[in-house]
Amino acid sequence: MKLYYFSEMPHHEYPDAEGDKYPSLRLAFPNTFFSPEIAQRNYRRYLDEYDAADQAGFDGLMINEHHSTPSCVNVSANMTAGILARTTRNAKLLILGNILPIQDNPVQIAEQVAMADLISGGRVLSGFVRGVGVESWWANSNPVHNRERFEECHDLIIKCWTTPGPFRWEGRHYHFRHVNPWCLPLQKPHPPIWVPGTASPETAVWAGRMGYTYVPFLVSFEVARELFDFYRQGAAEAGRTVTEDKLGFLICAVTADTKARALEAGRHFVWRMGPTLRGPIEYFSPVGMRSRAASQFALKARSVSLSKMTYEELVDNYYIVAGTPDEVADRFARVRRELGIGHLLLEAQESRMDHATTMRSIELMGKSVIPAMARL
Amino acid sequence: MKPREETIAVGPTRVQAWIGGEGDPLLVLHGAGGNRGWLRWMDAVAERHTIYAPTHPGFGRSDAADWMEGIDDLARFYLWFLDVMGLDRVHLLGHSIGGWTAAEMATMCPDVIDRLVLVAPTGLKPEVGEILDIFYYPPEELFKHTVFDASTIPERERLFGRPPTPEEAEIALRNREMAARLTWKPYMFNPRLPHFLPRVTAPALVLWGREDGIVPLICGEQYRRLLPNATLRVLERCGHLPLIEKPDEFAGLVLDFLRRA
Repeated sequence: MKLYYFSEMPHHEYPDAEGDKYPSLRLAFPNTFFSPEIAQRNYRRYLDEYDAADQAGFDGLMINEHHSTPSCVNVSANMTAGILARTTRNAKLLILGNILPIQDNPVQIAEQVAMADLISGGRVLSGFVRGVGVESWWANSNPVHNRERFEECHDLIIKCWTTPGPFRWEGRHYHFRHVNPWCLPLQKPHPPIWVPGTASPETAVWAGRMGYTYVPFLVSFEVARELFDFYRQGAAEAGRTVTEDKLGFLICAVTADTKARALEAGRHFVWRMGPTLRGPIEYFSPVGMRSRAASQFALKARSVSLSKMTYEELVDNYYIVAGTPDEVADRFARVRRELGIGHLLLEAQESRMDHATTMRSIELMGKSVIPAMARL
Repeated sequence: MKPREETIAVGPTRVQAWIGGEGDPLLVLHGAGGNRGWLRWMDAVAERHTIYAPTHPGFGRSDAADWMEGIDDLARFYLWFLDVMGLDRVHLLGHSIGGWTAAEMATMCPDVIDRLVLVAPTGLKPEVGEILDIFYYPPEELFKHTVFDASTIPERERLFGRPPTPEEAEIALRNREMAARLTWKPYMFNPRLPHFLPRVTAPALVLWGREDGIVPLICGEQYRRLLPNATLRVLERCGHLPLIEKPDEFAGLVLDFLRRA
């Protein structure tokens, strides 16, 4: 099983009491609490940690993007991929991902991902996501069109990578008269496509139909299995066989020299389960963004909100894994047995987890956990 | 006179409509909250006018129209609706996004509009302030911005007195989705509309609640200035829903204005 290192690049250096004054940390919490001085140090630090994860032997580095939130100040997954393409050597660069519905120019996304793929020597895994509602607000993109735009943006990017230009694109949401990108990916026909999921059965079915790698984020085993069933349904419709290489899962994880230290570090993940997800439903799922089926599935999938769970419950239920290297290896193996996945994505730094703790965790993963997982 | 409910096919799109009363036809276009049915103010106005109150495509139990992109599409749709109904010339009354739709119709085909009543219409960018983002707030909070004093609404029991049934909740969601489809960007206004409003020939009554928490009253001033023949009337102690917050005063003003035709 392959392991991936992921940092959300948080900016949690403000008094929590200030954040509590607003309806949500996303959209509403004023950016007067953003410190360029701190962010400058943090970006360097987070990028150093990615480099260390590459050197430690992680199979991949996962990069994401959010907007208008201290929970993730990585505002451009492609820019980070471009940096890591140059500074890392071996790990895959998993962009998970470009938020397709909010893009106004899919051709530029095709170019940027291609450029990162070229600079990295063909190491890019290109994830496509619909984004949380916050991103639709940020881009002022009509959530009613979210799924249509996701699919059309995807179709145009794939066409950029697979059809010689120049060609014309007149869709419903995108219109380009002369498409002819002079930057194409190294990998042929194009970098592998990955798709995450939390609640939408349609996305799982679609990913299965397309044969893309599908990764549920922070859900219970039970919900992940249901989503994988939807994925298999889509795959079956297209006559595809599902191998473990097409299935992944994301959890939070940290290791340390002692169990006590790891459990202490693991508490930093609680921030991303509650405070950073707090806010009106209108922010996270604006009107029209979710289908009725997805809304119903979301209610079931989050029957117990992550924010309502204690740290111990989050650990018991595998949302957070924190322990000595042997302990986390055991738990990762259990995840694999439960879900039959080929890829385990580790959100490995969060909140105010310090650099030393993060680096030690990366080092210990490299020494024994990654080799153990490679044998599975 | 008991209103009747009809389904009317406009091309392939069927819309549900309340029709009632007797006299010169009055087309009534509802706001983003949807068609609330036959309301108290309509009883009074229906004494002198035949009211046509359709439910917009995509709202309520009318057919979907996912192909629509904006309020100008809805305006063209209702001009077609008039053809289908055989109505050559009507009084036109619209509330909020229905008012915006009515204003667009009046710029497209001035000749088919006899008199125009715009009730707290969106459609223009306020010169000062902002139109409240109705999609950003939870329904309970939005309601507080929408009405001035809910306790004084005569029909409050019938309209808001009980939790919605599952079917009503689904309709409310559908209404919000279609409203978002039609008004998302630019939010609730058409930057070209002010350039066309001088074309409108119909006398216009622009009605506003003094305490409107959704569309700033200054938009009423702008409509009054841009329409060649418009009067602005402001209702005191009233929010964004004069039709139900002050139904009797509202009906009186409308009847009086239409009587002058």
